[in-house]
Amino acid sequence: MKLRAFAATAFALALSTMAHAETTITYALWGSPTEGEVWARIARAFEALHPDIKVNIQVADWDSYWEKLKVQVAGGTPPDVFAMDAPLFQDWQSRGVLLDMKPFIDKDPTILDGVYPITLKAYTTAGGIFGLPRDFQTIVLYYNKDMFDAAKMPYPTDTWTYDDFRAAAKKLTLDKNGDGTIDQWGFWDGGYDMEPFWGALVWAYGGEVVDPAAGKTLISSPEATAAFQVLSDMWLTDKSMPTTEQLKQFSYDGFLSGVAAMGMSGHWSVPDYAAVAFHWDVAPMPMGPKGRATSVNSAGFVIAKDSKNPDAAWAFVKYAFSDAGQTELAKIGFAVPVRKSVAESPAYLGQATKIDHGLYVKALDYAHLKPVFKGYEEWSSAVGDALATVWTGENSLADGLAAAVADGDAALAKNK
Amino acid sequence: MPLWRKTNNVADLRPLGRERWWVLAFLLPTLLGLILGTFGSIFATIGISFFNWDLLTPAIPAGISNYVDLPADRLFMKSLVNTLVFSALYVPLTVVLSLAVAMGMNRKLWGISAFRVAYFLPTVSSPTAVGLLWTWIYAEDHGTLNAMITAMGGNPVSWLGPKMAMYSVVIVNVWGAIGGGMIIFLAGLQAIPKDYYEVARLDGATAWQRLRYVTLPALAPSIFFQAVLTTINAFQAFDYIYILTRSGNGNSTMPTLVFSIYRTGFRFFRMGDAAAQAVVLTLIIFAMTAIYFHLQKRWGEPG
Amino acid sequence: MTREKWGDVLVFVALTVGAVAMIGPFFWMISTSLKPMAEQFDMRLIPATLTVENYPRLFRIMPFHLMIWNSFKIAAISVAGQLLTCSMAAFIFAVVRFPGRDLLFVVLLVTLMVPVQVTAIPQFIIFKWLGLYGTQAPLYAPAFLGGAFGTFLMRQYFQTIPIELAEAARIDGASLSRIFFTIYLPLSKPALAAFAIFAFLFSWNDLFSALIYLPSDPEKTTLTVGLALFQTQYGGQWTLMMAASLISVAPIIIAFFLAQRHFIEGISMSGFK
Repeated sequence: MKLRAFAATAFALALSTMAHAETTITYALWGSPTEGEVWARIARAFEALHPDIKVNIQVADWDSYWEKLKVQVAGGTPPDVFAMDAPLFQDWQSRGVLLDMKPFIDKDPTILDGVYPITLKAYTTAGGIFGLPRDFQTIVLYYNKDMFDAAKMPYPTDTWTYDDFRAAAKKLTLDKNGDGTIDQWGFWDGGYDMEPFWGALVWAYGGEVVDPAAGKTLISSPEATAAFQVLSDMWLTDKSMPTTEQLKQFSYDGFLSGVAAMGMSGHWSVPDYAAVAFHWDVAPMPMGPKGRATSVNSAGFVIAKDSKNPDAAWAFVKYAFSDAGQTELAKIGFAVPVRKSVAESPAYLGQATKIDHGLYVKALDYAHLKPVFKGYEEWSSAVGDALATVWTGENSLADGLAAAVADGDAALAKNK
Repeated sequence: MPLWRKTNNVADLRPLGRERWWVLAFLLPTLLGLILGTFGSIFATIGISFFNWDLLTPAIPAGISNYVDLPADRLFMKSLVNTLVFSALYVPLTVVLSLAVAMGMNRKLWGISAFRVAYFLPTVSSPTAVGLLWTWIYAEDHGTLNAMITAMGGNPVSWLGPKMAMYSVVIVNVWGAIGGGMIIFLAGLQAIPKDYYEVARLDGATAWQRLRYVTLPALAPSIFFQAVLTTINAFQAFDYIYILTRSGNGNSTMPTLVFSIYRTGFRFFRMGDAAAQAVVLTLIIFAMTAIYFHLQKRWGEPG
Repeated sequence: MTREKWGDVLVFVALTVGAVAMIGPFFWMISTSLKPMAEQFDMRLIPATLTVENYPRLFRIMPFHLMIWNSFKIAAISVAGQLLTCSMAAFIFAVVRFPGRDLLFVVLLVTLMVPVQVTAIPQFIIFKWLGLYGTQAPLYAPAFLGGAFGTFLMRQYFQTIPIELAEAARIDGASLSRIFFTIYLPLSKPALAAFAIFAFLFSWNDLFSALIYLPSDPEKTTLTVGLALFQTQYGGQWTLMMAASLISVAPIIIAFFLAQRHFIEGISMSGFK
């Protein structure tokens, strides 16, 4: 029956396409099939208001999304609207493949009111406005309540420092079945990209990560080194974090697979974590010597310069960026809306998962923007590879950081 | 040199009249493949290597800078070293082990066809699937290998960690290649006339002498061919290594040249740099093959 | 027992140890795939609880049946292309004399040395330009342009067919294509079978090209890419991953058992005697 209903819908759709001389635009994004369905709902709501425009949603996983997109754009057949990750924005903008939305925005100047300014910052360039934020992600601390309860330990609080955090992680690292190998770790992190964890750690210790304009990677400063020392101690001295090889046995997310008591992540993890069997909650990031820090990153909309229907594309972006569109988005639970009015409304705060969703919004007060520059991906993987040699014990911290700076700077130079 | 031995036929057909068109027609796909597929691609790759090109914006002439920059590219150099070390371990191990297995198989033993199947199975199985299997065998705490080691009172080994990854990867690749080499050597061994051995035995030759003076010289063409083939495969090895050493950020903890080309070209879209790396890889393979040919010439034709 | 017999026993034992190392991992794969999730870290070779639940789950998570079909389709088309174009060229190389033949053959063999990765970039650009990126065509189209390995293999076999057959047919007025289709191909069934198996294997097991041209879309992509994707998404679920691996290996193992003789003859045939 389902199949027949589907066929009927497809047929009806085909008919309606023939009946009207509609404009069809494509919106491509990365994400899970669930996210695709939510976007399809938003698209249907949009189509109801604009009967002459049809929106086609294309969803792919992260890696293939970018691979496919490059080829589509290079081949002159880009999706009209596509999702952008702020750090990669410059890679695309600098190559002249994005449409300047400023002329549209000038006609609708109030559209930017009530949007968190830090999310707009990533998309602002001297030559115009080549993107608008769609939603944002701040990083918070996730903890497994069952593991804390079993160890009779108090839950993390907003007064926690990284010393408290490290001590707790050590206590939560256990060999539960007594076979001589650890089967519960206090904390997990991949250790590659600055998001979710080590960027925030470096900032909390007063360090900086990168200065793309000067082509300099800054993570070997004394402040940053002190921050990395904490991570290195947890990994190599306390052994309160699983190695990459150990982690691979379970899944790439140690918190999700229930072997790590704590993890750092953004709001994107909430739908996955909501399905697990244990109890968990969220807390703010711990404080370092220079206070609390987290990173904020946003996904955005861009319109392809080669789009055949820029007006229809803009109409869709405008809708998705509006209160109505953002309210729909808030309900998915993957991200935080960029409009203050929506982020503070029940649509976002009252999601099914009973955690303090406001924490992600409050985190903006102490958040640093995840860097945005051309060549981010290559820089990130060069730095991540070099850092990984520290976490495996192959290199000393000082050598690993020196290599990360050298490789990172080389990647920056290549992408000038 | 069996590879391009002249045809056995004394009288080949000489095409006449319309037959010439048939000759052309029959060769057409291959000629197109050579012109477009291989040589066209080689020239195109060489051409691209002199540009900076991201596929999105017009290519910018870069002179020889893509080559000049290679030695300073630490990730490329790491891949190059990994590939060379890998080949240096993989090629001799594969050739020697598959030769040894083939010599064992050349005896009239009970269950020999079952052995043949067993040794050949890894060769035909998808490296992607078998690679997954080996990540499980090599896994850190719960892996099969470490479970066996701890059961015998040993300390678990971090098989895919930085110290062991190279050896672990070589083991899997050799494991997957023994079968192919074995079959080629077996064919060679079975073609050696039995009376050679009879004569040698009558002369009182020891087993070692028989190996040294009868078997190995007779197998020289097979060994040569197998060494060339294994070396080419070594420099192009991708599947097992990709699956076994993939890291959390989409990179590899043991990048090889092929992986570096894939990553530079298809993930970072720096086509010029990737092309330059591909050209270097080809040159290395050609140089290695030339060395083999030179050695073969020096040590003479098989006797 | 004679010394020779003792040697046989020794060799037999050594081969047995080796054989266990060669096929042991496959038994482990089967065994793990038949364990329930909860017992995946249980090291018993014979599962304490036998279950096939991993298999239906696998098909619910990803459309593996589509990927199997895709891999099969691509491999079958590639085999057809390779059989036809390689044996056509091989026939000419084996039977007809024309100027530059030996040189051309050497040039063809040299291409064995050129890594796939060198040709990958320009080919990618060509397929993109043809608008075929994201389709399966780039995975089978090259099979229709001949290839050094198959041409070499078939030429070796064609040379064993007495040239007199061709000459006699020619005197009777048969064209070259007629000689090829009515005499050479029918006489070469064993070689064609062996080569078909290799061509199939090569395509079925390919990861590199599939990763470039069909990196994601589960409806279109091949089993190898599906497995690689599966690894990133279901890492740690070993019972599932082993079931997925087995699905990809099983058709080849079954085909191998059925056609073992052809396989081995095929390699032996490449003429190193």
